[in-house]
Amino acid sequence: MTAITESMTQKLNAAFEGRINWRYFLQDNVTGSWYLAVWVVVLAAATVAYTINQMNVAPLTTIIILILWLVGLGFAIANGLFKKRTAIGSWLKTNLLGSVSNAILSLLLVLILAAAVRGIWSWAVTNATFDPELTKPEFRNPDGATWGVIPGAWELLMVGRLDREALPRVQMALGYIVVLGVISIGANVAGYLKKIRPLRSILLGLWAITPIIVYILLAGVSAEGDFINSKTLLIGEAVVVGLFLLLWWQRTVKFSVVNLVIWAAAWPVAYLIWRAIGKSEMFPPINVATWGGLMLTIIIAVSVIILSFPLGMVLALGRRSEIRGIPGWLLWPVAAILALWGLFVSTPSILGDIRNQADYVLAFWPILILGFAYLLQKMFQGNVVAAASTTFIEVIRGAPLITLLFMAIIMAPFFLSEGATLENVWAVIIGYSLFSSAYMAENIRGGLQALPKGQFEAADSLGLNTFQKMRFIILPQALRIVIPAIVGQFIGSFKSSSLVAIVGLFELLGMVAVIVSNPQWLGLRKELFVFAGVIYFIGSAVMSWYSRRLEAQLGVGER
Amino acid sequence: MTMNVNANEDVIVCKDVHLWYGEFEALRGVSLTVKRGDVIVILGPSGSGKSTFIRSINRLEEHGAGEIVVKGIPLTHDVRDIAEIRREVGMVFQQFNLFPHLTVMENITLAPINVRKWSREKAEETAMKWLTRVGIPEQAHKYPGQLSGGQQQRVAIARTLAMEPEVLLFDEPTSALDPEMVKEVLDVMSDLAKEGYTILAVTHEMGFARGVADRIVFMDYGEILESDHPDEFFDNPKHPRLKLFLSQILHH
Repeated sequence: MTAITESMTQKLNAAFEGRINWRYFLQDNVTGSWYLAVWVVVLAAATVAYTINQMNVAPLTTIIILILWLVGLGFAIANGLFKKRTAIGSWLKTNLLGSVSNAILSLLLVLILAAAVRGIWSWAVTNATFDPELTKPEFRNPDGATWGVIPGAWELLMVGRLDREALPRVQMALGYIVVLGVISIGANVAGYLKKIRPLRSILLGLWAITPIIVYILLAGVSAEGDFINSKTLLIGEAVVVGLFLLLWWQRTVKFSVVNLVIWAAAWPVAYLIWRAIGKSEMFPPINVATWGGLMLTIIIAVSVIILSFPLGMVLALGRRSEIRGIPGWLLWPVAAILALWGLFVSTPSILGDIRNQADYVLAFWPILILGFAYLLQKMFQGNVVAAASTTFIEVIRGAPLITLLFMAIIMAPFFLSEGATLENVWAVIIGYSLFSSAYMAENIRGGLQALPKGQFEAADSLGLNTFQKMRFIILPQALRIVIPAIVGQFIGSFKSSSLVAIVGLFELLGMVAVIVSNPQWLGLRKELFVFAGVIYFIGSAVMSWYSRRLEAQLGVGER
Repeated sequence: MTMNVNANEDVIVCKDVHLWYGEFEALRGVSLTVKRGDVIVILGPSGSGKSTFIRSINRLEEHGAGEIVVKGIPLTHDVRDIAEIRREVGMVFQQFNLFPHLTVMENITLAPINVRKWSREKAEETAMKWLTRVGIPEQAHKYPGQLSGGQQQRVAIARTLAMEPEVLLFDEPTSALDPEMVKEVLDVMSDLAKEGYTILAVTHEMGFARGVADRIVFMDYGEILESDHPDEFFDNPKHPRLKLFLSQILHH
């Protein structure tokens, strides 16, 4: 046996004038080890069987594929054997036909792919109907898609049960965003943003007020109440002026009479415009509980993304804060006094009204205060900011999103004053944002952790204050490092927004469930899920494409 | 320079400074007075606390006991005092610590614009002046990653000088440099010493110590063991550990 192969390889070597060593070729591709040999044999057998099967099912395609494969093989062999380097031969050799097993595998996979495409094509195109009139069960072809359901249920998919009279307002909101988006991208591509300074500020300003405009259009402004409520006006004014003083103290804004007047006038003007819009009844309130479909998906996803980012940043910085903790000599007496106060006031009243055995233990809850004080001192050296941030992050990360969504809806009334109500949509957005911000915080913390200590020290030694250090040195670098993680989380938030269907909000997937239970469209699951899948894919792909672009843009000056 | 108006003023006064890292006592009672215009080189084996000491002068390390007074301002927990001191004390690091996401110009002008509240024009003018002084005005619009180590360290020095500090702290500024780049940085430092800046430098460059320093301080185990004029320091060391240290670094 050995003698035969030996003489055969010798003859082959001679035939090709030593251009290829057949012994090494066989060793590399087939006989190198017993599992390689088994793999090649099994693969070859499976491919032959599958090819014969495909010859019967679809002879023409299979023959074409086989011919193309053989031609490709010829190119690759020519490349290796006769040193005829062709571009196509080199490409095939590196990508598809590098070794015997790769060559067989390529053929098998192309055949499988062709079969899959054929199947999908016949379902989605050849045997499919596209007419919305043909969606009733009696018109359907069991082997084809009934795409008519998508135009038929288009409004439900897009806006859910929203009052159809409000549709023009949805279109206005969409139009506003699309026009602004096109202008921004156009100006950026054409290079006007850098040339014309005010243009940039104007566009940024318009983007900044977009949430307000979208809110006015989609939720409306109530006309109820007096034109001017002096209490709201005064409280708002106090908050705005207070914010101005805070920023001035932080040296973020310059103090000047002009600045002060602009800030002071901002709130009354905004408030008057708001009331004027309300009184004009141009945009009467819409019941937000009727929001649904893709519109609701986008509202939830965008709100969560916008809210969770700054919140996560604050939490991340909070968790790493190194502020001076409450010293033990202050913490312990305060904790002791609070615990004693609780033991003397609360405990007797609970013990006096025992309902079950557990109350005997619960009555002594003030002792927990001492436990918390101990943990605060031991784990955080009395640093309340770090303790609060860490506790928040870990508690939120310890609960599933669905639990939090239920909690948001059930618990929201407890946090509201008597008589006030919170629409489920807002409760869900708040709960979801808190959930997302805990993960965001950990992502951002990863970026902060990755920065060399020297960056912090250099900023300190130059005399930058904490805010400036974060704003100019730390965050730009830290966020750049974690762009992939942050965008990954944005994509996750976008897709997981489908979970709100569980608490009764009919976003895109929730709407799909409603539509397939409609007698007219009963059971058209595949079509609708494919459609929803395509929409989610487009959204995610855009985000991930933008993240790669952003990374490349910010890559300047990379170490 | 108009700095020598009151040449005998004490710029930095350290009294019995102690510093702990957990249980480990890194500084055990360091006392040192630096007068305006003094150039002081701190020598010592690694782990002797010399870097810790100069880092505690601008509060990159927090001393646990003792007193540090810079230009009459005692260093306490008060952030305003710390900020004030950091404006007057510049620091140059072993690893340069330039901001890699900003250009050389932005690196230098960031603090003057935001801390000193200068206009951008003034800050950029000053930055160009200092870049010219350290010999690399043509690199102003590059990013730190595009410069050599020696150039980066000179940018770091320019960045520090642009804040117009009175005191300069150098923490082993040449230790991370390739040998052929050490000289360009030492030359800049010597010039600054001649111009009357108050300088505290931790360095292993004996030539610089001998030629430029007014006084050399030897530290080991977190204490100052000897402090003397360079000639006396090298030619007539008194403390046995300094004798050992000098014999180890000078004879090989």
